[in-house]
Amino acid sequence: MSEPNSTAAPAAFAIQKRRLRLLGLTLDDTIKAFFGGNAVVAIVVLTLITIFLLREGLGFFAQNSQSLRVYRQAGLEYVDFIRAEVDDHTALTRYLSDLRLRQLTDLTEVKKLSLEDANAALTKFDEFADKFSGTVDPLRSMLSDLTEQATAIKTKFIVTGDKKEERRQLLAEGKTAEAAAVQIEETDFAAELKPLVATLPAFKEGNREFGRALLATLDGAPVMPAPELAARMEKLKQLTRDYVAGLPAVEHALETWDYARPIPAWKAVSSFVFGRQWLTASFWQDWYGVIPLFIGSLMVSIVALVLAVPLGVGAAIYINQIASLREQRIIKPCIEFISAIPSVVLGFFGIAVLGQALRALSQVSWLSWMPGFPYSERLNILTAGCLLALIAVPTIFTLAEDALNNVPRAFKEASFALGASRLQTIVKIIVPASLSGIISAVLLGLGRVVGETMVVLLCAGNRIAIPDFTAGLSVVTQPVHTMTGIIAQEMGEVVRGSIHYRALFVVGLVLFALSLLINYVAQGIVRKYRISIG
Amino acid sequence: MSAPAVHRFQSQPNAARRSERAAFWLFRAATYLVLACGLGVFGTIFFKGAGTVFKAEAPFINTTFFTDAPESLYIFEFEGKKYEMGDRAFRAFKEKHPAAAKVKSESYVYSAGGIFPCIVGTVLLVVGSMTIALVLGVCAAIYLNEYARDGLFIRFVRLAILNLAGVPSIVFGLFGFGMFVIYFGWNVSLLAGWFTLAFMVLPVVITASEESLKAVPKGFREGSLALGATKWQTIRKNVVPYALPGILTSSILGIARVAGETAPIMFTAAYVVRDKLPWEVEKAGEFLFQGVMALPYHIYVVSSKIPQNDYTERVQYGTAFVFLLVVALIAASSILLRNHLRSRYKW
Repeated sequence: MSEPNSTAAPAAFAIQKRRLRLLGLTLDDTIKAFFGGNAVVAIVVLTLITIFLLREGLGFFAQNSQSLRVYRQAGLEYVDFIRAEVDDHTALTRYLSDLRLRQLTDLTEVKKLSLEDANAALTKFDEFADKFSGTVDPLRSMLSDLTEQATAIKTKFIVTGDKKEERRQLLAEGKTAEAAAVQIEETDFAAELKPLVATLPAFKEGNREFGRALLATLDGAPVMPAPELAARMEKLKQLTRDYVAGLPAVEHALETWDYARPIPAWKAVSSFVFGRQWLTASFWQDWYGVIPLFIGSLMVSIVALVLAVPLGVGAAIYINQIASLREQRIIKPCIEFISAIPSVVLGFFGIAVLGQALRALSQVSWLSWMPGFPYSERLNILTAGCLLALIAVPTIFTLAEDALNNVPRAFKEASFALGASRLQTIVKIIVPASLSGIISAVLLGLGRVVGETMVVLLCAGNRIAIPDFTAGLSVVTQPVHTMTGIIAQEMGEVVRGSIHYRALFVVGLVLFALSLLINYVAQGIVRKYRISIG
Repeated sequence: MSAPAVHRFQSQPNAARRSERAAFWLFRAATYLVLACGLGVFGTIFFKGAGTVFKAEAPFINTTFFTDAPESLYIFEFEGKKYEMGDRAFRAFKEKHPAAAKVKSESYVYSAGGIFPCIVGTVLLVVGSMTIALVLGVCAAIYLNEYARDGLFIRFVRLAILNLAGVPSIVFGLFGFGMFVIYFGWNVSLLAGWFTLAFMVLPVVITASEESLKAVPKGFREGSLALGATKWQTIRKNVVPYALPGILTSSILGIARVAGETAPIMFTAAYVVRDKLPWEVEKAGEFLFQGVMALPYHIYVVSSKIPQNDYTERVQYGTAFVFLLVVALIAASSILLRNHLRSRYKW
């Protein structure tokens, strides 16, 4: 491009115009700089997002490290070894009650006993079950004592921290006298923990007693009537034996436990990235593990994409290759129009209509072969996934259609000239040629789905737990919570600057990084596999 | 010998052809299934929401729903008759019938009255944020299309725009909260909402504006420059006026996005409930620093915070209907205008 108003005009030129100069720039330069400044806004915004997410979020790791340290120093970790042992026993008891239920169904449905008779026939089983679950009682009472002790230490430490903060604030305000009046008792963890650790011999004895008692109850196990139930009983016996064999390991862990062992720095990060629990506002210990939320987001997105990819790509192929011109003209804007439905309206639709409709559908008897059907939770992965699919379809459709459109006409003509049918041309020529575009369309659809907030907040069920993958495909009928949902739900209620608040910003940071990654991969695919023959 | 009824080159039905037809029907089914789903959502909300918005007698539109603020709904039985009343009407009723003071009533929040403050809030949010976004976006597009030459810097800017478009809306909400609400100390306010929404919609506006600027033929610029106009004169007189209709219509899609998003305004601009209307502020300076009620947030509140039953359904579907209608009209006009413009401006 040539600059007609170049300032370097020849000096001898007859008509010369003096130019207004501002800071050495001509008016045109100033205007150009102004527009350029606006273009930089995009970069600035992206930088600001990064800065502010980091600014609010980075403090999380220091606070988390501190929280983990207190968890160890106040002896909560010590008590949790015993808690894990007791919880494992509870799991065995649950297995036992499941066995009872199976036996009851066996008695009432196969043997046609009345409910009362069946219960009477199970008296012996109940005795056994009572004895089995009763063995843990001494341990449990010991555990609750220890829990109280540990909580007391932790509370003491927190109170001290609050007082320190109070003094700091008073000092900052210049009230030295008041500051000096604030009494601070430094928590001496070693001394505080002494009574807690002193219970170890008693616990060891109780633990051995517990192991013996548990094994002894197994001898009194009732004989199961059906072979299938007998096998289950055998399995329970085996599990119990394994469990008892594992008891000394707990004792060993307690013996070697040391409150003063430092927490490595990476623990603060790894307990977030690999943490399997997101537990807040608990009286015991808060955990900020992103895994349940991440898996929730992932599951919902997978369901959405499984539904949206065939529909979106199929519709794109139909519109681009098969449909008549008139159909094209009507359908294309209609599908684009779907993308204008606000997500909160879709979420409301899910709560008000779709959740109930899907549950009703799942309870239709001839559909019971479907995995997970029938189910009772109205709001779950499936409901949210279906709605998200509707959000992803227009994105995937529009971009995939563009990609198909970009395939050179000559490809198609050459294929026809070789005698291929239309279907063969589509499947073997057009789709492979535009595959990079289609894949990036799917990725960008994924980006939309992962970042979507309102639908998952309203329809995913909001239960913070890793779904039970042993259930196979029916895992999609369980409720989950998602990364976007948790931010939207908890951000309004947290105290500014608290560890919980910062944890939410770190989740936001993860989402931000994820969206950049998806974008980057999508662009990379398009660039790498672009059709070079024009 | 009779001639064969079918020409020998005419296509014969065979297995390949049948499978092709089947495959085409599959694609067709996918397309129409998508349309049916969209239609299902629209249809349900229109059908159920129409009951709140329209009524049988003149003027056929439930005006109070559009002009009143949300109130609690009270349901009670008094002297053998069943009444449903909003908060204010219920209090007036109790004054009129002192015997009714102790009547037992069921109540549902937000289920009576209308959605006027929400409509006002949404309009304010959309107008403000779109003004900011249009100014920034159009100027950026002018630079990118008119001034910039391909280089590292421009590639960087384009990359930033592309990435900005993929950032989830809730992240924009967090960012707005961290920067405007806390760091700048604006609290939950219109201004914070404006900037958050404007930054969110910026990539859409830039892309749309650039497309329209590109559509202006090169000859327009060259002709103007050849006549001795400066670059800025050329842009002002000969490029922007022709691109403006395109810029505006394409940006309407941005408006639909701004009006429809809930997540960014949740912690930056929206209140669950606010008694005062935005212009009822004591000082003019406070206008920008007040939170507002907004339609999308109100839908979130009424659909998640109150139970689902016949009484609450009216306001839920009614609000969703109005909101959907507004957004759909904006989007439809954008799509239609764009198609119209594309066919009209063929230089």
